[in-house]
Amino acid sequence: MSRLEAKKPSLCKSEPLTTERVRTTLSVLKRIVTSCYGPSGRLKQLHNGFGGYVCTTSQSSALLSHLLVTHPILKILTTSIQNHVSSFSDCGLFTAILCCNLIENVQRLGLTPTTVIRLNKHLLSLCISYLKSETCGCRIPVDFSSTQILLCLVRSILTSKPACMLTRKETEHVSALILRAFLLTIPENAEGHIILGKSLIVPLKGQRVIDSTVLPGILIEMSEVQLMRLLPIKKSTALKVALFCTTLSGDISDTGEGTVVVSYGVSLENAVLDQLLNLGRQLISDHVDLVLCQKVIHPSLKQFLNMHRIIAIDRIGVTLMEPLTKMTGTQPIGSLGSICPNSYGSVKDVCTAKFGSKHFFHLIPNEATICSLLLCNRNDTAWDELKLTCQTALHVLQLTLKEPWALLGGGCTETHLAAYIRHKTHNDPESILKDDECTQTELQLIAEAFCSALESVVGSLEHDGGDILTDMKYGHLWSVQADSPCVANWPDLLSQCGCGLYNSQEELNWSFLRSTRHPFVPQSCLPHEAVGSASNLILDCLTAKLSGLQVAIETANLILDLSYVIEDKN
Amino acid sequence: MLSSMAAAGSVKAALQVAEVLEAIVSCCVGPEGRQVLCTKPTGEVLLSRNGGRLLEALHLEHPIARMIVDCVSSHLKKTGDGAKTFIIFLCHLLRGLHAITDREKDPLMCENIQTQGRHWKNCSRWKFISQALLTFQTQILDGIMDQYLSRHFLSIFSSAKERTLCRSSLELLLEAYFCGRVGRNNHKFISQLMCDYFFKCMTCKSGIGVFELVDDHFVELNVGVTGLPVSDSRIIAGLVLQKDFSVYRPADGDMRMVIVTETIQPLFSTSGSEFILNSEAQFQTSQFWIMEKTKAIMKHLHSQNVKLLISSVKQPDLVIYYAGVNGISVVECLSSEEVSLIRRIIGLSPFVPPQAFSQCEIPNTALVKFCKPLILRSKRYVHLGLISTCAFIPHSIVLCGPVQGLIEQHEDALHGALKMLRQLFKDLDLNYMTQTNDQNGTSSLFIYKNSGESYQAPDPGNGLIQRPYQDTVVENKDALEKTQTYLKVHSNLVIPDVELETYIPYSTPTLTPTDTFQTVETLTCLSLERNRLTDYYEPLLKNNSTAYSTRGNRIEISYENLQVTNITRKGSMLPVSCKLPNMGTSQSYLSSSMPAGCVLPVGGNFEILLHYYLLNYAKKCHQSEETMVSMIIANALLGIPKVLYKSKTGKYSFPHTYIRAVHALQTNQPLVSSQTGLESVMGKYQLLTSVLQCLTKILTIDMVITVKRHPQKVHNQDSEDEL
Repeated sequence: MSRLEAKKPSLCKSEPLTTERVRTTLSVLKRIVTSCYGPSGRLKQLHNGFGGYVCTTSQSSALLSHLLVTHPILKILTTSIQNHVSSFSDCGLFTAILCCNLIENVQRLGLTPTTVIRLNKHLLSLCISYLKSETCGCRIPVDFSSTQILLCLVRSILTSKPACMLTRKETEHVSALILRAFLLTIPENAEGHIILGKSLIVPLKGQRVIDSTVLPGILIEMSEVQLMRLLPIKKSTALKVALFCTTLSGDISDTGEGTVVVSYGVSLENAVLDQLLNLGRQLISDHVDLVLCQKVIHPSLKQFLNMHRIIAIDRIGVTLMEPLTKMTGTQPIGSLGSICPNSYGSVKDVCTAKFGSKHFFHLIPNEATICSLLLCNRNDTAWDELKLTCQTALHVLQLTLKEPWALLGGGCTETHLAAYIRHKTHNDPESILKDDECTQTELQLIAEAFCSALESVVGSLEHDGGDILTDMKYGHLWSVQADSPCVANWPDLLSQCGCGLYNSQEELNWSFLRSTRHPFVPQSCLPHEAVGSASNLILDCLTAKLSGLQVAIETANLILDLSYVIEDKN
Repeated sequence: MLSSMAAAGSVKAALQVAEVLEAIVSCCVGPEGRQVLCTKPTGEVLLSRNGGRLLEALHLEHPIARMIVDCVSSHLKKTGDGAKTFIIFLCHLLRGLHAITDREKDPLMCENIQTQGRHWKNCSRWKFISQALLTFQTQILDGIMDQYLSRHFLSIFSSAKERTLCRSSLELLLEAYFCGRVGRNNHKFISQLMCDYFFKCMTCKSGIGVFELVDDHFVELNVGVTGLPVSDSRIIAGLVLQKDFSVYRPADGDMRMVIVTETIQPLFSTSGSEFILNSEAQFQTSQFWIMEKTKAIMKHLHSQNVKLLISSVKQPDLVIYYAGVNGISVVECLSSEEVSLIRRIIGLSPFVPPQAFSQCEIPNTALVKFCKPLILRSKRYVHLGLISTCAFIPHSIVLCGPVQGLIEQHEDALHGALKMLRQLFKDLDLNYMTQTNDQNGTSSLFIYKNSGESYQAPDPGNGLIQRPYQDTVVENKDALEKTQTYLKVHSNLVIPDVELETYIPYSTPTLTPTDTFQTVETLTCLSLERNRLTDYYEPLLKNNSTAYSTRGNRIEISYENLQVTNITRKGSMLPVSCKLPNMGTSQSYLSSSMPAGCVLPVGGNFEILLHYYLLNYAKKCHQSEETMVSMIIANALLGIPKVLYKSKTGKYSFPHTYIRAVHALQTNQPLVSSQTGLESVMGKYQLLTSVLQCLTKILTIDMVITVKRHPQKVHNQDSEDEL
């Protein structure tokens, strides 16, 4: 019986952005995300008042998934950032801060949404085409023949997540591990279409970070007792593997919609067990060495297989099925009857291993594209953060493989881009306006709002009261400590720019980021020797940042365009 | 417990409601419109500029508001466009009506208020207006469209005969459409996407059927991907299913596929049957048999080059395993819509595992170009290259956006555009009445004329069909006689029974319940007003059944006219109009048709043109009701361009544009539009008729009765406060 109930009328609010409530909630969100940003970002502890799990983090994915947002406008903002993060892993906070800043800056101007949106879109396409162009002065090519730039990329990600609680040495160690794990997933002799393997992250909590390691193949966790029972295999050749996806527990499978009547005295269990033992006999005659089952193996069958020196492991679980299929080259068997000979696979060797307090059964592949990253950290929350960071880094490396470019990090890209946009809108406004109905003044206003939004993203890198400067040649970012004595001698106070590409010994002019400057042309086309020599660059993923930029501006445009909010109160 | 709300405020109340709705929709109408954010009760957020969605999301409580929303929804379901314009136009019409009643205290009506309450007087007044509106819509509008407006129409086709579509025109049309439906930073991109999709999917000879297929299965033909910028949306050749392969075996060469709707593996027992197990050996043998049978079927499929198995149900592990062994990829658990889409594209019926096994060829297989996994944002999809047997060339749209709400908006807009195109590609039959000079003055005869034979300009000097109705109100003895003669004239009409019979079967099924209601109402409207007239009327009906049937028939035809949207109905109309070519002399029904693909430039061109011609028409009219209705409609039409030009200033402001347009019309110069973009005349026409129908509905209500079931507050006027 369905119950009909009259629907309550919805609540309709006009011009939602102008209300005080929306402004305050937006600024609260902005405060949360800006304070998390960068290597010196502050950590947030999220916990539920009703108890349970406490999460300490500064990452957007963890932060936003724990926050409970109720206002529809904020919901749009957070979901769009979460969607970005789930597809690119990186640059979530950047996107969030940029979007909030842009909304705030543009709101202050009081221009019509049409103009704002149109011009924002123009400026965005200007940014994108610059970042993708050959003359771009803030991106460098990624050389896969050396590990240097790749390591820089991974290290930059690790250092920007302070909640991982890593020391400098540990950062180096984990970066190297992540890079190794990534390189292990690339098939050795791939022609044309590359299918990457997979790195499985195995948790080892309560250990030192330095104990983390990477192993080719798959680790299956087992209790010590189980492991002791497994007999060692002495075999020089590769081991034959059978992988079952169907249950071997002796359940009677689906009998159809009708009824099955079993006469008295007939034991179906025995019948099925007979069948299972027959299967065991077939496996023996096929010289299988290792039987793996996703579900449960009947103890009698297990015993039977063990008696014939076959290792049987059950309850593998569905998550390991795909990597196992890939690694051993088997076809998951779904039949209790005859097994096709080509559905068996092989592994090079198996061994047992002990890491910390955990025991593992280790399958060593012939040809590795599957590897296990044993990740250690001191406590649960730090481990969770480290795991997320490792996944981000692995994903960023994959994205970089597709698009082998990296952006200069540490805020240099943003200040450089802002300088470029300022210069472009100042000197060549006609090319941007073209056939539009916007005036030059409107363009200047929006461009200023846009550039200062970009610059305030960078401004939020500084949490300790220091100042941020920019040079007038490259448009890079330089930070100066809080209580620096005087403004006279910049080259001594500043050592390196944000990304580490330039040092202060050059003849440069600096000005405060928040002060007004004349528009200047930031130097484009990076010199090759500069890139080659620097070994400690801070780098960002190009693909993720480009998408973050686009998502931030698209979302801001979307929110600025809202004229009504209709809330369904049912 | 009953409580009635005074209906005196019927138009006033409707106007209040419509004005509130107008305030909401006018912010998102046209190219300058903005977005509205709706939250669903589930907490999801949806962005929308779709008027219909907004109105529904409001969950209005006011009965008139609910009726308006219903009218909009049914209009949208058919045409996919015009919800916002609907509200604006309706609001202006109501405003016009309201203004008139305030100003003009009807001298004719004043005579008989002694006996009747003012309220009832008003109601009858509304009734006449609604009558006049209906007559206008069914008998005059088509004529104006055909005789005046049609000369301004452009066509979307580059050649009208072969109906080859002109790409640039379609682009202009779609761009104008999406201008009003999606955010302004995306409308160009989305309209380009739709245009590409259209040209990729349709072959030159594909007809309405393709539109139907795409319209029915639009949900299955697009895939939403969140987290990517909108500009990553694209069209993919082939069909993308939102499922992953259960087992994937790469294959090439001659690939065939089968569709199954049940498990391939035979089961112990089917529903309603009983399987008796007597021994363990029997169980084992049957299990063995099942296994062997499954294996054999899969082998057989393999031998027939079947490389892909599409199943609407979950297949057992055994089937999946043997499929993998035999190099067959499997996709399981498809929805019935997906299966029916595939079946419609390739014209394939499901494969039934053969009972008796033979090596013969399996009849139900189809060739596929390719089948491979497609990865969109680390989610896997099945990508099929089907070989279409119909006019539709399968393509899927991948819609990207930062949030699901935006993707839904785009999907919705694309679907609406498709509906709009579907309507545009139909011919519109215009049937209307026109008069020539007649000597009698009172005797009006109806004829059906083919517009090809006689194309006569309407003569304003003649009494229209409403005249008798009008006159009866005045309690004029003469008028009654006129009516009498009028009816008698009908009785003189000799129409062979055979012809009537041939007509009726066609018309009857097209009458929807509301139509019949209105038909009855028009029939009895005379009797409602004056009892004496009814007395005259009824004997007349009794005496002369021919007259009745003719009359009834006429009304049915006029309803037919307003519903002429369906191309199939054209066939049923034509025989009638040909059969009675020489029946009379004075009034004639003309039928003509507006060819498919008629468009006009955007920016209120249709409205200004119709406004101009309606004013001209009204000047020539002698009847006050008709003049009034035409004037009201003409003036209300201008409300739409007024909203569209709201933000424009100077040369492009509304008064300038309007004066320019009127001047151009007076001097017979071509109209110059300041905006590029085209809109469908069909859509506008349908919108106009839908609004007029909605208005007649509102006007015919004389009382709103609220039934209170629970002891709760009466919400009649509360919804406005909420907004």
